[in-house]
Amino acid sequence: MANADTIVALGTPPGVAALSVIRLSGPSCAEIVRRICPGIPAEPEPRRAMLARALDPDTGASLDQVLVTVFPGPESYTGEDMAEVSCHGGWLSPALILEACLCAGALRAQEGEFTRRAFLNGKMDLLQVEAVLDLIESRTPALHGAAVHQLERGLSRRIGGLREGLVDLEAMLMHHLDFPEEDDPPVPTPRILARAGDLVGMMEELLRTAPEGELLREGAVTVLAGLPNSGKSSLFNALLGEERAIVTEVPGTTRDALEAVVSLGGFPFRLVDTAGLRETREKVERMGVEVARRYLRGADVILFCVEAERALQVSERRFLDEVAETPVVLVRTKSDLHAGEEPRAPRGPEPLPEPEGAGHGIEGVVSLSAKTGRGLEQLRDLLPGLAFRGLVSSGAEIPVLTRRRHAGAIGVALEELRAFVEALAGGLPAEVAATHLRPAETALEELLGVIPREEVLDRLFQDFCIGK
Amino acid sequence: MTPRYDVIVIGGGHAGVEAAAASARLGCRTLLLTPDLSRLGQLSCNPAIGGVAKGIVVREVDALGGLLGRAADAARIHFRMLNRSKGPAVWGPRAQCDRGLYPRMVRQALEELEGLELFQEMVTRVELGGEEGFGVETLGGLRFQGKAVVVTTGTFLRGRIHVGTGTGISGGRAGEAPSVELAEALEGLGLEMARFKTGTPPRVDGRTVDFARLKLQPGDGESFRFSLYSREASLPEKPCWTTWTGEGLKKVVQENLQRSALYGGVISGRGPRYCPSIEDKVVRFPEAAGHQVFLEPEGLETSELYVNGLSTSLPADVQEVLLRTVPGLEEVRMTKVGYAIEYDYFPPHQLQSTLEVKGMPGLFLAGQVNGTTGYEEAAGQGLVAGANAALKVQARRPFVLERDQAYIGVLIDDLVTKGVDEPYRLFTSRAEFRVLLRQDNAASRLGPLARDLGLLTFRQERALKERLALEETVRVWFRDTSLSPEVANQVLGEGAGEHVSEATRAVELLKRPGVGAERLAEAGGGLVEAEGMRDAMVAVEVEVKYQGYVAREVERARRLREQADFQLHQDLPYRQFVTLSMEAREKLERIRPGSLAQAGRIPGVSPADLQNLMMEVRRWKKDGQPRPTLSSSPASPGHSERNGE
Ligand SMILES: Nc1nc2c(ncn2[C@@H]2O[C@H](COP(=O)(O)OP(=O)(O)OP(=O)(O)O)[C@@H](O)[C@H]2O)c(=O)[nH]1
Ligand SMILES: [Mg+2]
Repeated sequence: MANADTIVALGTPPGVAALSVIRLSGPSCAEIVRRICPGIPAEPEPRRAMLARALDPDTGASLDQVLVTVFPGPESYTGEDMAEVSCHGGWLSPALILEACLCAGALRAQEGEFTRRAFLNGKMDLLQVEAVLDLIESRTPALHGAAVHQLERGLSRRIGGLREGLVDLEAMLMHHLDFPEEDDPPVPTPRILARAGDLVGMMEELLRTAPEGELLREGAVTVLAGLPNSGKSSLFNALLGEERAIVTEVPGTTRDALEAVVSLGGFPFRLVDTAGLRETREKVERMGVEVARRYLRGADVILFCVEAERALQVSERRFLDEVAETPVVLVRTKSDLHAGEEPRAPRGPEPLPEPEGAGHGIEGVVSLSAKTGRGLEQLRDLLPGLAFRGLVSSGAEIPVLTRRRHAGAIGVALEELRAFVEALAGGLPAEVAATHLRPAETALEELLGVIPREEVLDRLFQDFCIGK
Repeated sequence: MTPRYDVIVIGGGHAGVEAAAASARLGCRTLLLTPDLSRLGQLSCNPAIGGVAKGIVVREVDALGGLLGRAADAARIHFRMLNRSKGPAVWGPRAQCDRGLYPRMVRQALEELEGLELFQEMVTRVELGGEEGFGVETLGGLRFQGKAVVVTTGTFLRGRIHVGTGTGISGGRAGEAPSVELAEALEGLGLEMARFKTGTPPRVDGRTVDFARLKLQPGDGESFRFSLYSREASLPEKPCWTTWTGEGLKKVVQENLQRSALYGGVISGRGPRYCPSIEDKVVRFPEAAGHQVFLEPEGLETSELYVNGLSTSLPADVQEVLLRTVPGLEEVRMTKVGYAIEYDYFPPHQLQSTLEVKGMPGLFLAGQVNGTTGYEEAAGQGLVAGANAALKVQARRPFVLERDQAYIGVLIDDLVTKGVDEPYRLFTSRAEFRVLLRQDNAASRLGPLARDLGLLTFRQERALKERLALEETVRVWFRDTSLSPEVANQVLGEGAGEHVSEATRAVELLKRPGVGAERLAEAGGGLVEAEGMRDAMVAVEVEVKYQGYVAREVERARRLREQADFQLHQDLPYRQFVTLSMEAREKLERIRPGSLAQAGRIPGVSPADLQNLMMEVRRWKKDGQPRPTLSSSPASPGHSERNGE
């Protein structure tokens, strides 16, 4: 049987709550639970909650009324024998029962040990392990959705499919190289190239999700920039729904950059309020402007704040030139001060008139008042489409690469596969071209956390008639 | 008094003769025991040596000083370079040999070796003999004493031959007795055994074949030779013929399937997928219109033909009917019936990479007894086992070929790490470093290794030196010779890029597609024709043309080697390594790999397992026993209080 140790941990956070769950995994689960809850039958019915009294194993003092469920391995989360004890929440009950389990012979689980055991016992692959983490940590519906999909093997299946594709290619080549006198003629090179081309396409498609997928976990860096006093901090606060940044009528109020994570349209954004951009001799402010520029270089989206009705200054145009690579929303702030204009304000983003829009990354113009809240909704609707364009348009059901590790591995596989295609199409011998296939496979195997063998043969013999 | 030897080899097939020869070349007093000295290195299946991957093994055995290549050269009556149209790394030299002549050539080569004694006697017992080594007893009641023993008994262990659904006849090969007592004796030593099956096709009288209806397959007529070290006189050539089976055969097989030993339920052992019987082919691929059949000459002085592709265990009368459905064989007379044979083998996970049995120092197993098929696979193992037996007796370091060094290394590593669940045969696709393991570079790959080990005779050493010098000459010629534009442009064919306008070095021209080394050398002049020139040319051509690829593969191999350097002690308490998955622990316990790299090739051992294994081993070394502390988890959740995920 699996691990020698039985581990225990609190499955819920400590503190005042209606319920709390204590989780155990390992060969002595049932024994330990019966020492704490002597009322449980020797052969408890699997996966069925039983009401019991929990007692201190040493003193026999009553600890709580609990529900006990046992999950015999291997059909459990970890693949080992498991048990869950649901007790009342709060500061004491869960802690006392945990303590009792430790007394009864369980060891305190290490971080992530349940999931780790599940992985080592083959209950999940590495991608699913990551998904469990994302699921626990997700604060936005978009990451949550991607994590659930990944946990349900959506991504694993896709990667597994790619790996099988590579094994297929090897099998086709093997038939070509190792069985020259077979009944069947060799697989024509165009067919091998076509199959490889399909795989290249699939890898590219997956890889395209990576930049945004990674943002799902980190949040899209959204920098509020503009001249001093243009209303950046006010907008920051309005988007957060709380007064986080200091707002005054004095230009140059914000010095250091201020960050906060917010969910907009289900997607995570890391809002950054920065110092107003201007030439200044004042030391602290100058450093603040430096920080702002650094953030801008790494920005996924820029909210460029300019007071409504005011023509863009030369320095502002120059700024827009500098950030032409990044999507920019031109936010026309303090629109309430120009009440007369409001009826004319268009519902959608107003096109930037020439020459203001030419050559810039301006993706939309929003007329907005932090004071009345007008225009906020429009901005909120606009942002997901800018930072998560691909994910928004492709819908939920395609797997998303949420970690650098994923993109790295698929990137390696893709590069090797492209080199394979180039070599084979360029007339190099098949066995020379094939030197690219194993590294590609290895990259995907590492991504999944598995290592295969013999598979090429198995595949081959199922598809081809080999005689002689 | 019992005669004493350093090494005793039991069996005189391809594994046995190589084992005995290797041991003798290393200077050990060696005895080879076999029931029939006239069948040393007998070609018991088809009379061909080499082929794709296998041909490279022949060259490897040869480069290491073995007999296989030399005997094949001497008995060859037909030669083809398979995969000629493909890259040089997968060229497969194959020779049809005269079945009668081949064993005589093997015997001749063996008799040249000093310190090797041949004795005709059937072995019935092997006893572990403590300090004395092993006691070996024969059917005739003779006893021999050996410090090390190599068992190479092929398909003879409890061999059982089937033709149709009769009860079967005990036999190790057609017409030869099986080894039953020896099987029992070895089992008694604690060796685990399992059962395989394989088959052979019938043979026919060439005088009854209608050759007009067959397709002629002439030999390549190449001056190719397997052997680096000796130059055997060449024999006249005989062609092969091909034909196809059709509907008639399919019908005969389908109607008689129940009378086949393989399908009538008489045989239970597993057979090779890639050497299927005609019954298998018809059952598994009923939609196939037909299957190719090769008629191979059995020898120069006979018209008998080997019907390759029609391996069967149908009854004799059905075999004749079946043959006569094949175009060209309508009137054919059978000379030998095809049969299936079942035999015992030793699942090779019991072996170390030296082919020594784990826990039984001095006892080595090689060849088909380890679950392989093919003469070449057997010979490669025999050589490694014989060499290691000798090295053991001499208290020297073992001889292990790595996967990036030789197909023999791939073969043995596959056997001992993965085991077999069907008779094992080599393919180029089994090698990770196909581009490095070529038939043209066997000399430089393995020659120096063999020389340094002492595996080469004086004559072989001299020949090796000449060959390596020749390769260097060719390399230097290409590097230092410039061709005038007129000469160079003549060589540049279609697709070879733009013409040159000034004198260009040969090596630069060789990099261009479609430009061959031989053409260049011819055009440039100055290289004197010599034995082995052709191989040297191919080797240089590959080095130059696929430079980037070869370098990449060398680097990949180096990285893997680094991993291999992490040695795993033979008595690690795998069961206690609780950070490893259950499956990994069980597999490791059973297989006991020698290195981390080997562990990584065991199916079911994941990279996560490998990492943990490395850590467990370090702990084990440090404080003698593992603690169940968990190392860094593959991913550790952030909340320390809430760690029940
Ligand atoms: N009426 C009105 N006033 C606003 C609005 N937004 C900002 N203001 C005012 O404009 C002034 C500057 O606002 P801030 O949000 O501090 O501007 P800032 O861009 O952060 O300025 P610095 O930090 O100095 O660069 C404050 O007096 C705000 O009250 C708005 O929507 N309507
Ligand atoms: Mg501010």
